[in-house]
Amino acid sequence: MASGRLEALDRLIEAFGRLPGVGAKSAERLAHHVLKSPPEEALALAEAIRQIKERVHHCRTCYHLTESSEELCLICRDSSRDPGVICVVEGSRDLLALERAGTYRGVYHVLLGRLAPLQGTGPDSLTIDGLEERVASGKVREVIMATNPNLEGDGTALLVANRLADSGVPITRLARGLASGSVLEFANKEMLADAFSGRQCF
Amino acid sequence: MPSVRTLGLVVRTVDVFETSLIMTAFTRDLGKVSGLAKGARRLKSPMQGGLDLLGVSDIVLLHKASDALDLVTEAVPVERFASLRRDLAALYAGYYIAELLSDLTDFHDPHPRLFDAATVTLRHLGEPLLRSRRVLRFELACLRELGLMPVLDACAHCGVEVEAEGDSFAFGLATGGVLCPSCRTGQPHVATLSGRTLGAIRALASPGNAWRDPELGPGSLGAVRATLGAVISHHLGRRPRLLPFLGA
Repeated sequence: MASGRLEALDRLIEAFGRLPGVGAKSAERLAHHVLKSPPEEALALAEAIRQIKERVHHCRTCYHLTESSEELCLICRDSSRDPGVICVVEGSRDLLALERAGTYRGVYHVLLGRLAPLQGTGPDSLTIDGLEERVASGKVREVIMATNPNLEGDGTALLVANRLADSGVPITRLARGLASGSVLEFANKEMLADAFSGRQCF
Repeated sequence: MPSVRTLGLVVRTVDVFETSLIMTAFTRDLGKVSGLAKGARRLKSPMQGGLDLLGVSDIVLLHKASDALDLVTEAVPVERFASLRRDLAALYAGYYIAELLSDLTDFHDPHPRLFDAATVTLRHLGEPLLRSRRVLRFELACLRELGLMPVLDACAHCGVEVEAEGDSFAFGLATGGVLCPSCRTGQPHVATLSGRTLGAIRALASPGNAWRDPELGPGSLGAVRATLGAVISHHLGRRPRLLPFLGA
């Protein structure tokens, strides 16, 4: 160990450095901030990290996040939700974004990733088996694919749609094209092509 | 800092920070390049979706003099391959092409013909009957362009014309092609190919239309797939991640 270095501080810097988007300098800055902060503040951070690992787990039905005291998440427990419509998303952050819009009243299924075999995420890494079981129950009227509108998202939707093809349940996907509040002049040809192919009756 | 503009096929993207990504593209004029695209994942990004995987875009790169990553300042989509979004087998084949371009090529080593071969192959992956042959042809084009093409007509070790032993040929993965009986002994990683398989590889590597010959049935194509998979694994030093997803 270089002179003047502290093992505990180095360990914290290394731990911060493993977080996404945190480089070596930022990790060092964060570690020194923790060092300078009052003990109760630093310990509260440590306790929050411990609790999230011990108490938060995936919902048994939809794989969204839930507290350990409950097997089902808040959305799956909400009786005002329509369990006949399942919206499939890649991750819980996508689900939360859709919930912020406040317009959807069905339930969700979180895939816990997207089909990205170049990064080692194959079909077996996703929760498609769980979705198949839900659809096979016969209570589902529609599955909405809300994966990201890029190649990996579309590939994931394609994989899920292929796996559910024999169920006979209608599979739809979110509309894409022009963003509300934008102008045609600055839309690229992909947006315009999507907007034309997804046009609706006026 | 000089900027350069080139057509590029995006072969890898990694999300970084909240809205940025690091992209790797196989470009026509510069070969493989990587760059940081700040804010590329924002809804109103100037990249306009031009950094989506397996899309051809007109990319502007700001070259950094130091070791830092180049900056991507503009990426306008030029071509998307619709079949990759409709057909899972086509998508896996497309990912395989991206893996080969990303992992077999070196940075800043341009191969315009390989870029053209990749875009032509991606354009036609929606044709299920010829898909596996097109991917095999691309693999052979890739090996040829990169100077890794196995020798098929003469002994890769001594250069003499090779004759079949019965109907089989020795094929040295490490030596880089077929081997004559006298050179075979002592060579590592030697596989045995049937004359039919060797003929199929030659047909697929040839510039004419022999690769479309219906005589190249699934049996011989399966053996070609196994052979080329082994050759590429040898050069990569590992098995390609997408290989298990490809059909024969």
